[in-house]
Amino acid sequence: MIFELLAGNLTHGLLLGGVYGVATMGLSLIFGVINVVNVGHGQFIMVGAFVTLILFTALGLSPVIAIPVALIIGMALGFLFFYTVMRKLIKAPELASLLATFAVGILLEELAKLIFGADFRGYYWDVGKIILPFTTIPMSKLYAFIGSIAIALFLYFWFSKTRSGTAVRSVIEDSEGARVCGVNVDWIYALSFAIGIGITVMSGVLLTMFIPVGINPYMGGAYTLKAFVIAVLGGLTSPYGAFFAGLIFGLVENGAYTLFALIPGVAPFSLTVSLAFWMLFFLLLVKPTGLLGKK
Amino acid sequence: MLKVENIESGYGSMQVLWGPSLEVKKGSITSLLGPNGAGKTTLLMTILGSIEPWGGKITYEDREVTHLPTHKKVDLGISLVPEGKHLFVDMSVHENLVMGAYRKEALKNIDDSLELVYSLFPVLKERDRQKAGTLSGGEQQMLTIARAIMTKPKMIMLDEPSQGLAPKLVAEVFETIQKLEAEFGLTILLVEQNVVASLNAASYVYILHEGRIKVEGNPEDIRGSADIREAYLGI
Ligand SMILES: Nc1ncnc2c1ncn2[C@@H]1O[C@H](COP(=O)(O)OP(=O)(O)O)[C@@H](O)[C@H]1O
Ligand SMILES: [Mg+2]
Repeated sequence: MIFELLAGNLTHGLLLGGVYGVATMGLSLIFGVINVVNVGHGQFIMVGAFVTLILFTALGLSPVIAIPVALIIGMALGFLFFYTVMRKLIKAPELASLLATFAVGILLEELAKLIFGADFRGYYWDVGKIILPFTTIPMSKLYAFIGSIAIALFLYFWFSKTRSGTAVRSVIEDSEGARVCGVNVDWIYALSFAIGIGITVMSGVLLTMFIPVGINPYMGGAYTLKAFVIAVLGGLTSPYGAFFAGLIFGLVENGAYTLFALIPGVAPFSLTVSLAFWMLFFLLLVKPTGLLGKK
Repeated sequence: MLKVENIESGYGSMQVLWGPSLEVKKGSITSLLGPNGAGKTTLLMTILGSIEPWGGKITYEDREVTHLPTHKKVDLGISLVPEGKHLFVDMSVHENLVMGAYRKEALKNIDDSLELVYSLFPVLKERDRQKAGTLSGGEQQMLTIARAIMTKPKMIMLDEPSQGLAPKLVAEVFETIQKLEAEFGLTILLVEQNVVASLNAASYVYILHEGRIKVEGNPEDIRGSADIREAYLGI
């Protein structure tokens, strides 16, 4: 019985982990290229969730269409945010960019509240389900997982095989070296920032398949924390590391939920919510260079 | 080929260059000497545009390029072997060389350029697939020069290329530089701490001190003046 429950939760955890992975790739990309920790990260996930909700409920469009729309909206927001705020802060002390991204996060939350109100909302995309001996999986979650793998592979291909992806890698390694090779480093900063935000907004689309009534202007903060933990797990500047760490985090989170539920007298849900804090705490103990320390 | 006039620049609000001027003649080796902290690195970075000039004028092949962005200067054939190498240590030797040919024009000639750098530095061909970070100090310096050659330059600026190398390797680096000038017709602006070797290699010399050009002239004249040697070069 417990094993069935565990197997079921781990399956859901793996599917959700793919989404976590994509949600963290953008954070790692931005940190790797411009050395900025985006404290408003989760709010961009929230934007993706609302894009999906609006397209579905107001226009009747499927989440599959929301994915490219989210990428375009995300990249546009990324370029806007970069050229208005971030560009001047790349060489400024870390505190300046932390405050700026924090402020942009709050701005997005309040704008969302102004437009949509503070209620929890959701939608139901009925595309059938798969019945396994130990659990039932809605097809929508499976599609989200496939989507996350497709996005990760796409990013991997861009990174390792294309000219602009190689330029991004060279800037991550040594921006001065990239400059003397003739890489337009300032453009690579802007492009990576926009793609990082674009991927993050896309992950918000995928996430909606897992939170049937959880779309809300303030949903982002929890995912910022999770993304930090996953990014540290994955090695901070490596988008692939982030993806695999996301899968691991999804498994641990959902496995832990099952186990917490066995302990009499505890509330497994709230304990699971604090799990990310505990993981971050222990990671920083083991890796004292902390979030901002490279390697 | 390159003319720098009254250039001023620095970091934040700290001014480092106070209007030095210099000229690099086509197909020659020009040497820029001066003590640590004089502003030599800052001057090369300002010429390439990774530091924005505050004032003054930079002309390259009769064209004003003072505020041209770095990647466009690389397109025009200006190349830098930076101080501290700035290699991509997690990439292979081959990938580093391919990065050197990043600009479209350089990419068209990549096969010829690769053949050229492998003939200049056969050890790089042997270590083709190895990560740049695993090379010895001398090999890394060769890779840095090779990467600059891959950009298909007309002019190469080298910032202390012999820094930290054993004497035998220092001699090798200077031989390579002279070969680039004599055999491949490249124009060279060489920043060095190694005064003796630079005076031997160069056809014209500038001495930078506290952000200003204090002395310029033929290497023979500078070698011959005890005053100059004592005041600026410590030899
Ligand atoms: N990135 C930097 N930020 C602030 N000051 C710098 C920086 N790089 C160099 N400087 C300062 O500029 C001056 C000139 O340095 P530099 O151009 O490196 O001299 P050189 O190459 O002749 O040794 C020095 O006083 C140095 O401390
Ligand atoms: Mg220097």
